[in-house]
Amino acid sequence: MIKRASAFLILAAIAFTAMPSTAFAAGEDGELDAIHHSANAYYLDFTPIGKLQLPRIFVVQHEDGSYGLELFSSTASAILNGGWVSETADYADEGHSEEGNAEGDGEAAYAGDGEEQEPGKYGGITLAQLEGYMVPPNGAKVVLDMSISKHLVFAWLGMILVAFIMTRMAGMYKRGVGRDTAPKGIFQNMFETLILFIRDDVARPNLGDKTDKYLPYLLTVFFFILTCNLLGLVPFGATATSNLMVTTVLATFTFVLTQMGGTKDYWMHILWPPGIPAFVKPILMPVEILGIFTKPIALAIRLFANLTAGHLIILSLIGLIFSFAKMFGPTVGYAVAPVSIAFALFIYCLELLVSFIQAYVFTMLSALFIGMAVEEHHHDHHEAHDEHAPSVA
Amino acid sequence: MTLFAANLLAPDLGLIVWITLTFLILLGLLRKFAWGPITSALNERESKISESMEQAEKALAEAKQLQADNDKARREAEAQAQSILREAREEADRLRGEEVDKTRVQIQTMQESAQAEIEREKQSALDSLRQEVADLAVSAAEKILRENLDADRQKKIVNDFLSDLPKN
Repeated sequence: MIKRASAFLILAAIAFTAMPSTAFAAGEDGELDAIHHSANAYYLDFTPIGKLQLPRIFVVQHEDGSYGLELFSSTASAILNGGWVSETADYADEGHSEEGNAEGDGEAAYAGDGEEQEPGKYGGITLAQLEGYMVPPNGAKVVLDMSISKHLVFAWLGMILVAFIMTRMAGMYKRGVGRDTAPKGIFQNMFETLILFIRDDVARPNLGDKTDKYLPYLLTVFFFILTCNLLGLVPFGATATSNLMVTTVLATFTFVLTQMGGTKDYWMHILWPPGIPAFVKPILMPVEILGIFTKPIALAIRLFANLTAGHLIILSLIGLIFSFAKMFGPTVGYAVAPVSIAFALFIYCLELLVSFIQAYVFTMLSALFIGMAVEEHHHDHHEAHDEHAPSVA
Repeated sequence: MTLFAANLLAPDLGLIVWITLTFLILLGLLRKFAWGPITSALNERESKISESMEQAEKALAEAKQLQADNDKARREAEAQAQSILREAREEADRLRGEEVDKTRVQIQTMQESAQAEIEREKQSALDSLRQEVADLAVSAAEKILRENLDADRQKKIVNDFLSDLPKN
């Protein structure tokens, strides 16, 4: 009984640490903004320890038309030292003035936010300012915001992890382990299983004898997405793949590879679909052309939506605790907590599953789309045409 | 003006550029340092395994063939041994038969010659007996003629003569 209770407490602790910022963000103004947590930001959230502001890099166009690169170590530095203004109209619209926000919630603030910080301030600026839209001084315009964001940091972390793991793997194979002998140890076996799965069950069936050409891309995309997905489940982590920009870039790679690899047959099927009456062809052609683009778009949105949804659900479930506490008093809040946490844990496990599934699905569909484009058609036209049906959900 | 904060769908060109760069670097890095060695090692291992299996199958087939050959050779040898044995036995039988026949013939010949000898000896014995008897008769007659006096005397002479004859 005690054992079970302590196990539950541990799980609850994990659930809390996984979503620390939410819990404390909720404490700030009594509301929980799940979207706020899932969206990109220019700081790493280590609440309750603090927030680590990331460097801001802007390509700006000055009033005289000349371009310049502006670098700041943090958002606060840009505002305080660079004279930039953070537009926080959103917050102002909702009736929270910056000052009021900072002062009013002083007691519920972030205790561990640096020694010299006054409560509610981050390096001398408010949270609203930290998240505001940055406008340069002297009438200049931001052309390109190349700032290092939370999702970018975690994408880099994912890149470093994948590169580290895979070069270590390669090292083992180079030493002869797995080349001349059976693979050794859990590390090599685990990753070899995944690599072989991608090669034999994803790439080969779709790409046939062109597997070798596209396998590096498919493997990279699989492990990169998987790592990014899993990094989102780590305490203080963020999911780079829950950012539409990231998934769009990945889908664009698939799109480019598909179009570049497209055979004459592939383009013929799109521009002048065979095997159907001539008068249907002009109707079908736009649909097929649209299909070229819907496939990667679906790819991008599927990954983004799946990874975002899980986090939103967990955050919403955790948020229920605070909503109930705010509406009916702390007692109800405590009573709701176990239920919320149990559900959140379930979703957390589900997200673990989704991390693998979505990495697989993205890779699988990439292989399928590329395979369809590069395939040399030897079979019946009618059958071939069916493959261009709208993609799988 | 749209705010960046709390917007999941905010367009962010800078991030796109960064992620594109990141992914390209990762792709290039892994392609050169990871996927190449790994896939080549895996291919090598697989081809080695399939080769080994092929070889093993071939070796097995060879072994089977060898065994079959051995079996065949053994059976042939056995058959040969059997036939040799049979032949030897037949030969032996034949030789024995011949020997027996020869012996029989020899015995017969010997018997015949012995009989002939016996006959001849008998004949010669009879001849010599006859000669002897004739001689005796002649000598007896001579004695008779010498002492031809009376009947008693004659009788006595003959009897004496007869008793004078050797008993055998």
